[in-house]
Amino acid sequence: MRVEYINPFVESAYNVLKEVLSVEIVRGELYLKSTSMPVLGVAAIIGLAGDVEGRVLFDMSKATAIKIASAMLQSMEMEPIEELNDMGKATITELANMITGQAVTKLHNLGFKFDLTPPAIFTGDNMEIADTGVEALIVPMDLPFGKIEINVAIRERN
Amino acid sequence: MSNTSEPVARTQSGEQAQEHKQRLGGLHQHQLQEQDDIETVDYKMVTFSLGGKDYGIDILKVKEIAKFATFTYVPNAPPFVSGVYNLRGDIISIIDLRVMFNLPAQRKPEGSAEDGLILRLDDLMIGVVVDSIDKVVGIVSSRIQPPHPIFGDVNIKYISGVVEKDGRLYIILDVDRIFAKEESASEKPERLPAAVPREEIGLGAYQDDVTSQVAQGAVGKNEEELDLEFIREGLVTFKGFYPDGVADSWLQRRYPEWRAERKKLGSDVQLTGEEDADEFLRTFYSPYSGRFWGEDYIEGVKALLPEEMPKNISVWNPGCGKGYETYSLATVLRMRYSSHILKIWAGDNDLLSISTAPNLVFGADAVPNLYEPYLVEAKNGVAFSSAIKDAILFEYHDVTHTNAVPNVDIIMARDIISFLPPKQQASVLNEFSDKTASGALLILGQNEHISETLGWQHVGSAVVNAYRRL
Repeated sequence: MRVEYINPFVESAYNVLKEVLSVEIVRGELYLKSTSMPVLGVAAIIGLAGDVEGRVLFDMSKATAIKIASAMLQSMEMEPIEELNDMGKATITELANMITGQAVTKLHNLGFKFDLTPPAIFTGDNMEIADTGVEALIVPMDLPFGKIEINVAIRERN
Repeated sequence: MSNTSEPVARTQSGEQAQEHKQRLGGLHQHQLQEQDDIETVDYKMVTFSLGGKDYGIDILKVKEIAKFATFTYVPNAPPFVSGVYNLRGDIISIIDLRVMFNLPAQRKPEGSAEDGLILRLDDLMIGVVVDSIDKVVGIVSSRIQPPHPIFGDVNIKYISGVVEKDGRLYIILDVDRIFAKEESASEKPERLPAAVPREEIGLGAYQDDVTSQVAQGAVGKNEEELDLEFIREGLVTFKGFYPDGVADSWLQRRYPEWRAERKKLGSDVQLTGEEDADEFLRTFYSPYSGRFWGEDYIEGVKALLPEEMPKNISVWNPGCGKGYETYSLATVLRMRYSSHILKIWAGDNDLLSISTAPNLVFGADAVPNLYEPYLVEAKNGVAFSSAIKDAILFEYHDVTHTNAVPNVDIIMARDIISFLPPKQQASVLNEFSDKTASGALLILGQNEHISETLGWQHVGSAVVNAYRRL
């Protein structure tokens, strides 16, 4: 993955999570992966198009998703959720959208033009994701609610 | 000799185990959250300690837990065979795993019983002596992690996995393989008893084929050859450098030279740590590694470039590090083909190095005058102009993963193939062939050579080592 893309994603993930959740966030070591990867249980996905093609995946366990969504809702003085209902899913989707949106804005300022697709959310057990022909950058973020893995797979259009 | 190198090896593996533990610790936590309700124990193992670390053996392989009081010593047996033991009428041999893996053994007072296990393998019963038996631990088999390639005390091929349970890290031994090996090991010559346990200590996957050669070929091997085997292993462990491939001919030349150097200094021929390995590899690296090329190398590369090039020149530069090599190559190509469109895909899997590459700034005196037309003033020094920069795409990328580069005219891969295990070396070379057409140029490290049967003809000079696609 092009070096210039890495920082915008790492920074915006860190900033948005910190701002929205007001908690301590620890960024893990970044690494690359190319084989099919297990998905923890809740995965919000946003496609990228333009100069590049690819997608960003926000991957977390169901318990983490519920805690994060509750924290976000409470910060807006709304009721926390007990299970991952429509409200919870919409909240997680919104979080993914905020992070990707900010990253793409940063990239735009650097001269890279991307478009986003509307986010989608997948939930389930024992899921896997495989991307052919592109390796993924994994940005692990440790939150008090659990771990979010941000999985960015982008390649240049040749 | 083995005594002097041991402590180093042990601290290293200690650190690795620690690191491994932390990584597994993290994984464990997230898996806990995920698997809270679907967790079922489907694998039980008997755990015990050897040299202060926790190990496990699949309970299905364990016949019973025993205390061995009196062995009958067997003359002429390998050192790790403690003797034979009469188990209610059955005579079984007793192996001391600590001696076998060259781990420190707690000496029991004379006459007291040793803790051990009796294993049942296909048609063989065998007793093993350990420091102490711990307990039976039930785990979820999906939690078993593959062993780290340089795990340390026990050869990786004898480890079927590593698992964390209640904050302890257990190394699961693959007893079938340990004792399958033991049978052939008994053919080893008596005059090399000290070397036997050393070779059991594992150094990574590539060793799979080497150890078997050692095991069978040890007969008649002289000290020099054994030292060479050990150096190969050392290079893998300390530097991730695999000499059994493109760098083999270099190793054959380097070894006698190294032997002479070390003998003169009165130091050990074998590699006892990273420093030794660095010293051994000192003559391996290509000229101008990690800095801009000087005039001689620039001229050398220029001489290899063909007259005719397509209008769009594509170049692949895996393992570009901080980018010095890429910028030098881009400059040479710009000089040579001033009106062509140039595109260089440069990648490295070292995040820190590659992160600095796109915005590399340096002192004006770091480069020969030749580069001057392509430089511009920058904060705190000079940088390459956009004519060069825009031609290069730096990527955080691992060459062993999918390579998204299109077909290219030039590949520059100096000193990276040698740092891949042999299997990956072969697949990367295949990939090089896939991504090129006849006439393409491949520049390898100064001491890396490929067989011409792969479809590459050697065209390099004394300065630049290169191949042309047939």
